[in-house]
Amino acid sequence: MTIENTIEPSGTPDVADREVGVEQQDFNVLVWMSQQGVFVFTALLLVFAAIFIDGFASVDNITDVFNRAAPIGIVAVGMTFVVISANYLDLSVVAQVATSAVLLIAVSNSNNMFLGMALGVLVAIAYGVVNGVAVGVFRANAVIVTLSTTFIGLGLLRWASGGSIYFGDPDGVIATFGKTEIGPFPLAMLVLIVVTLVMHFVLTNTTFGFLIKSFGSNREATRLAGVNTPLVVIGAFTVSALGALLGGWVLAAFSNTAVSSMSDGFDFEALAAIIVGGTSVFGGKGSVLRTLLGVVFVSALTNIMVLSGYGFGYQQMAIGALIVLAVSVDALARKVGSS
Amino acid sequence: MTQTASLGLGNQKTDLLGRIKTTFARRTEGRAVILLVLVSVWALIWESTVFTAYEVTLGRLALIGLTAVGLTAVILMGELDLSIASILAVSGVVMASFDNVFLGIAVALAIGLVIGAVNAFFVVVVGINSFIATLGMLFFLRGMAFVISDEEPVTMTNKGFALDFGKPLIGEFTPRVLIFVLAFIAMHIFLTRVRVGREFYAVGGNREAARDAGIPVRGRVFTGFMISGFVAAGAGIIVTLQLTAADPTAGGNALLTSFAAAIVGGILLNGGRGSVLGTLLGAASLAILQVGMTFNGVESDVQNIVIGFVLFVAVITDPNSIRAVVGSARAFLRSRSAPDPAG
Repeated sequence: MTIENTIEPSGTPDVADREVGVEQQDFNVLVWMSQQGVFVFTALLLVFAAIFIDGFASVDNITDVFNRAAPIGIVAVGMTFVVISANYLDLSVVAQVATSAVLLIAVSNSNNMFLGMALGVLVAIAYGVVNGVAVGVFRANAVIVTLSTTFIGLGLLRWASGGSIYFGDPDGVIATFGKTEIGPFPLAMLVLIVVTLVMHFVLTNTTFGFLIKSFGSNREATRLAGVNTPLVVIGAFTVSALGALLGGWVLAAFSNTAVSSMSDGFDFEALAAIIVGGTSVFGGKGSVLRTLLGVVFVSALTNIMVLSGYGFGYQQMAIGALIVLAVSVDALARKVGSS
Repeated sequence: MTQTASLGLGNQKTDLLGRIKTTFARRTEGRAVILLVLVSVWALIWESTVFTAYEVTLGRLALIGLTAVGLTAVILMGELDLSIASILAVSGVVMASFDNVFLGIAVALAIGLVIGAVNAFFVVVVGINSFIATLGMLFFLRGMAFVISDEEPVTMTNKGFALDFGKPLIGEFTPRVLIFVLAFIAMHIFLTRVRVGREFYAVGGNREAARDAGIPVRGRVFTGFMISGFVAAGAGIIVTLQLTAADPTAGGNALLTSFAAAIVGGILLNGGRGSVLGTLLGAASLAILQVGMTFNGVESDVQNIVIGFVLFVAVITDPNSIRAVVGSARAFLRSRSAPDPAG
């Protein structure tokens, strides 16, 4: 049990102030890196890229980065709720994003876009409830549960779609949405910002958000306080599923195609963004605004690697190392903080 | 007289019943036995070729079982090793890159050990949760397999050795089945008869108590992860020998099946309980299921759905999960039947 694991009494609104108070006790590099490092590192990375990487600071490239960052960002913002609630992560976002994208394009082609969206919402709720019940009610390990639902979900999607690629109507609403840009900002980026702000409000200003944090820092105390903890977990996984749903729609609109393999790697890019942003995998602490910053960092890093000619393998290595490194810093900072 | 006799008999009976009960409560393989019986009956009725073409089933069992046996050592200590899927890919790619097969095998196994040690370092020294540490390693090593192989399958130069490896060695058994049997026996003896192995249970059951009892907990976790890494590397080598080429994308399904085998086999995810025999039974039932479905012409996507479902059911029927559900159901009923204090 560390200091951070104590639950905040419900009467104190100044959670942020107290966290700052804890940080200021002693200056420590690790604590500083885990809390504030992302701001400096993101700024340094962007300045470095702007100066040394040819083609990074062009409007076309930045629009491209935004287009790729938006779906991953929306997924990461939703998944942040699962991470804060101390349930590690939701691996099944890979299956969820692909399912929502395929449903949107395929059903729009055959029937009607709104039917595709409605089906997507139903599927997302199903994912949230199944994952949430298994983790919240049965107290099963979230990694294993979402690993199994990933295989079930991707299997169902590939079996139903036959692995085929669906092309959207080039003049339809979806394609128009994907092509619309305001200056260098694609419309998808606007969606990401709105989603982030809404989620930030939910996390900081609602009872649900408060319960997510308190469950993440001490689940037993939260349960003893009379909170219906299974509902909190189901809620966290449902938020993650809704993020994946929106992410899938945005991804489908950007490419105007959908295929079951289109979201490979979303799980760990989203996780990397969340952890680099400074949300703790130990639960209880974090913010979706930080996740947004983490998304900027991870997307910029991936873009720099692409521009410098480092392929998919190197990108995976970099993101894997980033996850381990960021969590290590967090873990070591906690040891310093608790001793 | 007769009364005492019948009383004595009654006592004996309850003793026997009690003993059976405690044995059952102590054993952890129940779910694996149930699944094995179910799939065996299914296979006997619908797809008896699973048993007539037993060398195929045994080969599949060896593949699923090997990584699962290595995983057992880690899960018994309450840790997870998700990186096994990528260790499989990396070791295969490394081995296939060497012209000399034996040198390649040695290097690949050494890499498995080193990765296991790195995993353990992050878990016990840095203090990261093993799920996240090995997840990071899973992505890192998958990338490494792509980089080493240049994103292409690596073909072995010495195909003759690989073909010999597929031929029966003793009786009907191919080397990989024999390797699996040896690994299983070694692990069983290690976990039940060797002191270091028995201490794995203590570490998984209660880490603090184990430390107080003088067990070098850090050392045991290192040993566990190195066993898992070593065995996964061995599985990567075997897969590569079988295909005579190394696929950098290998391992995705191994992750699902080996976790399913270990968890169906009754290894408690919180650590401290389980047996490698359970893992064997779990792996056997999954092997029968997979081979049966393949013979039956079931698509691989549907097979993944079925195995994923098995894993899902296994993880939510873990004794701790059942206890949690029963507990909350009782609390719910009590709150329903108790008079409402507000009303």
